[in-house]
Amino acid sequence: MSDYSIWVLEYAAVEKFPFSVMMYGPQHQGIRKLPYAYALLKGKGETILIDTGYDHVNFGKTLAEAYGVSNYHGPREVLAECGVAPEDITKVFVTHAHFDHMGAIDHFPNATFYLQKRELDKWVWALTLGSEYRFLVGGGDPADIVKAVDAAREGRMELIDGDREDVLPGIDVNLAEDTHTYGSMYVTIRNDGARDSADKWIFAGDLIYTYDNLTGLDPEDPQIVPIGLAVGSQHNLIFSSAEMLKSVGGEARRVIPIHEDRLHTMFPSRKTDAGLQVVEIALADGETSRVS
Amino acid sequence: MESSAERRIDPSVLSYIEAAQPVQELLQQVLTQVAGYSLMLMTGGKPAARPDGSLLLARQAAGRAHDDLLALPVPALAAHHHHHLSRAAESTQWAFAAADACAAADASDGERDTLSRALWSATGHLRATARLLPGFEMVDFGQACCAAHAHAATAATPR
Repeated sequence: MSDYSIWVLEYAAVEKFPFSVMMYGPQHQGIRKLPYAYALLKGKGETILIDTGYDHVNFGKTLAEAYGVSNYHGPREVLAECGVAPEDITKVFVTHAHFDHMGAIDHFPNATFYLQKRELDKWVWALTLGSEYRFLVGGGDPADIVKAVDAAREGRMELIDGDREDVLPGIDVNLAEDTHTYGSMYVTIRNDGARDSADKWIFAGDLIYTYDNLTGLDPEDPQIVPIGLAVGSQHNLIFSSAEMLKSVGGEARRVIPIHEDRLHTMFPSRKTDAGLQVVEIALADGETSRVS
Repeated sequence: MESSAERRIDPSVLSYIEAAQPVQELLQQVLTQVAGYSLMLMTGGKPAARPDGSLLLARQAAGRAHDDLLALPVPALAAHHHHHLSRAAESTQWAFAAADACAAADASDGERDTLSRALWSATGHLRATARLLPGFEMVDFGQACCAAHAHAATAATPR
């Protein structure tokens, strides 16, 4: 009995991504595919996204030519794989303000957006420090904040200050401050609606890039190993990962790394005609499978 | 060693790019700050620091950008770029004025619309500068997760 159907939808990818960025430390362990994806949830009268994808019109060419991002497809085409149009989206959780998670908010004209207040506050603050501190604001697009202003003007932007339960029925958010970014948040779906849920799914944003961040590389000797890109600290990344793991009773597969290529081998999935993975994490009662 | 893009660009334009890049970075910083302040205003939140502190610093930065803009030597080949850079600077000033109006308790929908138009005007002109000449990208992809490998790949490619 699931309240929400949950899919992870790939919309682009970097085919050859250095593993040392996905995981702090392994400098000579080659490359992996890094999918770009967002999550779609349907249930309780809502159609929800976790993150939006990037602004292909302004950056697609640069990302393709200089950074090896390939096979981009826009939200209308990607969401159609699940019978959804961008106009159907009612709520969007933005896990953090990087261009590939927040850059397409203008594609969802009827959605209300949730972003951590700290993410905005600290970005604006870091800009006052001078250009030698620009590492702290890398990956952010000023235009995304302007888009957010428009959403706010229409009453469709809410800044969340810290942890909050039941932002939507059965959906909680937690602030993971000073980790990948200053105000990253992860999203928990209690898919049976129970407070002490036995059916939780956590969307980790970029707090982890791969399940290996939660388990380490040695199955005989598990450990939490943080990602290789943080403006906060490895310490905070480790403890936020531990917090997420604890929340799902140690069942690592329930903490979803949106950039993990192996999701399609761990859950029911299919590849679209465009070569994009559709991964079905959960199916609500009465919902049609989109992968069978 | 020159990149292929640099080889195609007139030396006077290269000098202009070098001098104009910090101005554009400053204007992007100002745009983000005034947009962030505007977002706080429109969501009813208050920034963590002094409410107007970041805006004060942004105004100072905008003043520096304006002065630097006036001092830029502009070759004819870069005139179009400089036009958009100048309009971006003017639009940020417009955005400051609009944000001040929106900070009033009785700010109207029209004043909020004006603020949005000013922010989009600055954004549009800055995007134009990024399209017209290399080195004026709006996002620092070099520190973004997708692109953390790109420097090594570029460095390994013979020019």
